[in-house]
Amino acid sequence: MNENMVNMMNALEDQAIVDPRSGPIAMRLNNVSVAFNGRMAVRDVTFDVPANNVTALIGPSGSGKTTLLRSLNRLHDLTKGAKVTGEILLGDEDIYSGGIAPTVLRSRIGMVFQRPNPFPTMSLYDNVVSGLRFNGVKKKSILDAAAEESLRAAALWDEIKDRLKAHGSTLSGGQQQRLCIARALAVEPEVLLMDEPTSALDPIATQKIEELISQLKARVTIVIVTHNMQQAARVSDLTAFLLMGEDRAGEQIEVAPTLKLFSQPDDPRTMDYIQGRFG
Amino acid sequence: MVVAANSSQTAAGAEGRRPSASARGAYEWTLLVVASLFGIVSVWFVGTIIWQSVSTFQSQGLYLLTGVNWVPGAGTGQPSQYGGRAMIIGTIETSLIAMVIAVVIGTGTALAINFFVPQKMKTFVATVVELLAAVPSVVYGVWGMLVLAPWFLNTIGPFLSSLPGGTAVLGTTVAGKSLLLAGIVLAIMVLPTYVAISREVIGAVPHELVEASLSLGATRWQTLWRTVIPTARIGLFGATSLSLGRAIGETVAVSLVCGGSVGTTFKPLEPGVTIAGWIATQWGEAVGSDQIGALFALGAILMVVSLAMSMFSRRLVAQQRRAAAVV
Amino acid sequence: MTQITSSSEQITSGEIRAHLRERSAATLRRRIFVSKVMTVFCWAAIVLAAIPLVALLLRLFVKGIPVLLKSGFFTQLPQQPTLFDQTNTGGVSNAIIGTIAMIVYATLASVPIGIIVGIYTAESDSKFASVIRVIASTMVGAPSILMGLFAFGVIVVQLKLGFSILAGSFALSVLMLPVLISSTEIAVRNVPTTLREAGLALGAKPSTTSLRIVLPAATTGIVTGAILAISRAVGETAPILLVIGGAYAITWKPNDPGSALSVSMYQDVSSSYDSLRDQAWGIGLLLVLVIFVLSFAARIWAARKQKVQR
Repeated sequence: MNENMVNMMNALEDQAIVDPRSGPIAMRLNNVSVAFNGRMAVRDVTFDVPANNVTALIGPSGSGKTTLLRSLNRLHDLTKGAKVTGEILLGDEDIYSGGIAPTVLRSRIGMVFQRPNPFPTMSLYDNVVSGLRFNGVKKKSILDAAAEESLRAAALWDEIKDRLKAHGSTLSGGQQQRLCIARALAVEPEVLLMDEPTSALDPIATQKIEELISQLKARVTIVIVTHNMQQAARVSDLTAFLLMGEDRAGEQIEVAPTLKLFSQPDDPRTMDYIQGRFG
Repeated sequence: MVVAANSSQTAAGAEGRRPSASARGAYEWTLLVVASLFGIVSVWFVGTIIWQSVSTFQSQGLYLLTGVNWVPGAGTGQPSQYGGRAMIIGTIETSLIAMVIAVVIGTGTALAINFFVPQKMKTFVATVVELLAAVPSVVYGVWGMLVLAPWFLNTIGPFLSSLPGGTAVLGTTVAGKSLLLAGIVLAIMVLPTYVAISREVIGAVPHELVEASLSLGATRWQTLWRTVIPTARIGLFGATSLSLGRAIGETVAVSLVCGGSVGTTFKPLEPGVTIAGWIATQWGEAVGSDQIGALFALGAILMVVSLAMSMFSRRLVAQQRRAAAVV
Repeated sequence: MTQITSSSEQITSGEIRAHLRERSAATLRRRIFVSKVMTVFCWAAIVLAAIPLVALLLRLFVKGIPVLLKSGFFTQLPQQPTLFDQTNTGGVSNAIIGTIAMIVYATLASVPIGIIVGIYTAESDSKFASVIRVIASTMVGAPSILMGLFAFGVIVVQLKLGFSILAGSFALSVLMLPVLISSTEIAVRNVPTTLREAGLALGAKPSTTSLRIVLPAATTGIVTGAILAISRAVGETAPILLVIGGAYAITWKPNDPGSALSVSMYQDVSSSYDSLRDQAWGIGLLLVLVIFVLSFAARIWAARKQKVQR
C-alpha cells in the first residue's frame, strides 16, 4: 500500500465522523492552567467548545476535569490561592480579562452541580426564578412565563405545576436535579456547565437527565464532566480526555469527536482508559 | 437473646426498650435517682423564688408591674410601695439596644469570618472569639464604668444631645452612666457569644448553595443575603435568643454602668435601672425587710420571662429543624 | 402568587430573554455597588467588634499587670485606704481563698451529679428523661442572679445557715449543673453507636457497656465540658454577691461568710479611692488569666486526646 492510499482512507474515515468544531464555536480554551497556591492542578488545556453541542470532559479522578470546568465560569474566584492562567474566550471576550463582570459572566454560563442543590428555604417556584430575581427581574408576568418555560424545558413542568409552592425537599433526587437545571436555564445562559450531574442519581433518573441533555443542546451549549464513559459516549458530540500527569497536574491527552475518540483514539493512553485499564 | 435483639437497635432505642423496673440494676437506679434529684432541685428552684415573692404579689398587685415608686415602708409607718415599671422598661430598653447592635455587627462579623477572612486566620479568629466569650461579665462592667462612662460623659453624650432633636429624644447625660451605655456594654459583652454561634451556623451552610447562587449571576452580597442568611436563619435565631437571654439577665455589668436611678422618662442618655441590676444594688439594704420579697418578685418576673423565652425559642428551633429535616 | 395564569403563554421566550438581559444590565451597576458596600460593611463589622474587645483586653493588661506585681497582692488581706495612706489597699488573699474554696465545693457537688444526669438523659429516651433534658437546657439560659436568689432562699432562709461560702457554692453548683448535664449528654451521644452495639453484641449488659465502653470514649468531651463549666463559675459575680456575706479574713470553712475575687472586683470599682479602682483591674486580669488558662488547657487536652485516639 502506498502512502497515498493510507491518506485517502484516513480522509474517508474523517469524513464519516463530522467534527462538531467545524461549526460555530461557543468557547475557546487556550493553554488554560489552574493552580492552587502555586501547585498546578490542570496544565495547558487547549480546545474549542462547539456551540449547541455537548462537550464531555472525561478522565480518572484527579485528572482535573472538575477543576477545569469550574474555571469556565470563574468559580475558582472564591478560592483563595487559586490562579487561572491562559485564555478562555466566550465568543470573542476573554472571561478573565476584566471586560465581563464575574456576575454577568456567571449568568451567561450557568452551572449544574454533582448533587442536586435546590435552595432549601425557597419554594419550587422561587427556586426556578431565583436567578431572574438576582438579575433584577421583578415583573410577575415575566417571572411566571420564565418559570413555566424553563420548567417545561427541563421536562419537569407536568410533574410539579400543581405544587409550585411546595419546597424542593418534596421532590425526588432526579426531580431536584431537573429543578436545578430549570433554575439554571431560567437565566437563559449561553453555556451550561454540568459537573457529574447524575452521580448522585439512580439509573432511571440518570436516563431522564441524559435524554434532557440531548434535547437541551438545541438551546444551550453544554459542557459536561462525567466519570461515566458510557454516559459521555451516549450524550456528547465532542469528548476531551484528561489524565493526571507526573506532577499530579491534569493534562489534556486527546480531544476528538466522541465517536472517533471511543472507536479509534489517536493516543494509546486514551485506548487504555476507554478499555478500562486504569481509572 | 435480649442482648442480641437490642444490638440491632440504635443505642437510644436499646435503652428505651427496657422500661420494666425488674430489668433495672444498680447502675440504672443510680442514674434515675440522681436525675430525679436534679428534677427536685429545679422544682425547688422555681418554687423558692415564687414562694418568696408571694407576699409582695399580694400586697402590690399590678402596681409591681406598673408602679413608678420604690419606697420601702419600714420605719416610716407608711405601707411599702414597690413599683417595677422603671426596672422592667429599663431591662427591655437596654436589651433591645444591645440586641440591635450585637445582631447587626455580629452577623456582619460572622459573614466576614466565613467568607472574607483568609483561611489561615479563621481558626485563630474563632479561638479568640470563643475565649472572649468566656471573659466574666464583671470585667465588661468595670471597663464600661472606668473607661466608657467618662468618654460618654465628655464626648459621646454631648455629641448625641447636640444632634437635632437629640435632647428631646435621647436626653442629656449627667454622669455618662445611662441606659444607652448599659445597652452598649451589653452588646459588647454578648458579641463574642453571638459571633461564636452564628459563625458556626453560617459556616454550616453548604458551599454548594453558595456556588449555585453565584452561578445564577448573583453578586457576592446577594448570595450572602438571599441564600446564606435564609439558610442559616434557624441557627441565627438560636444565637439571637441566647444572647438576648444573657442581656436580659445580666446583673453586675449593667448595674455598674446604667446609672442606677429609678426614672420615669427612659431616655437613653439618662440613667436608669434594670431588674437584675436593681436586685443586686438594693440587696444589701433589703435583707431583713419586706423589700427582699419585692426583689424576689422582680426576680420571679425575670425568671418567668427568661424561662418562657428559652422554652419558646427551643420549640421554634426544634420545629424549624423538623421542617428542614425533610430535605 | 405562584398560580401561573394562562396569560403567561403569550409571553415568548424571546421576550423573557430580552427583559432579563435588559434588567440584568440595568441593575448591574447598582448590584455590584451594593455588594461592594456590604463587603465593606462586613469588614467594618469585624473591626467594630474587635476594637472594644481589644481595647478592653489591652486596658486590662496595662492596668492589671502592675497590680499583680505589687507585693502582697496575693498574700495580704485587704486594707481600706485612708486619707493619709490612699495607696495601701493590701491584697486579696481572702478573696483568692474564698473563690478557690467555693469553686472546689461547687465542683465536688455539681460535677458528679451533672455527669450522672447527663449520662441519664443521653442514654434513656423515657418521658422522664426528656423532661429532665428540657429542664436542663432551659436552666442553661436562666439568669445567674436567680441562682443567688435561690441560694438565699434555701441556705439563708429555709436552712438558716446564714450568708456563707456554702451559700455561694450552692448558687454556683446550681448554675453549673445544667451546663454539665448538657455537655455530658452531647459527649455521650457523640460516641459512635457502633461502639455501643459492639459491646452489646459481645453479650455485655447495657450497664457494663455504658461504664466500660461508652463512658471512657466520652471522657474527653465530659472533662472538657466540666472545665468550661468551672471556668464559667470562676468569674460569676451576681449570685455570689447576694449570699457570700463578705469577710476580711481567710477562711475555708463552708459556714463562714467569705469573699470572692469577682465580688471584690465589683466592690472595689465602686469605691471612691483610685487605688481600689486600680486594684479592680488587677483582680479582673487575674480572673481572665485563670479562665483563659482553664479553657486553653481544656482545648489542648481535648485536641491531644483526640489525636491519640485516632
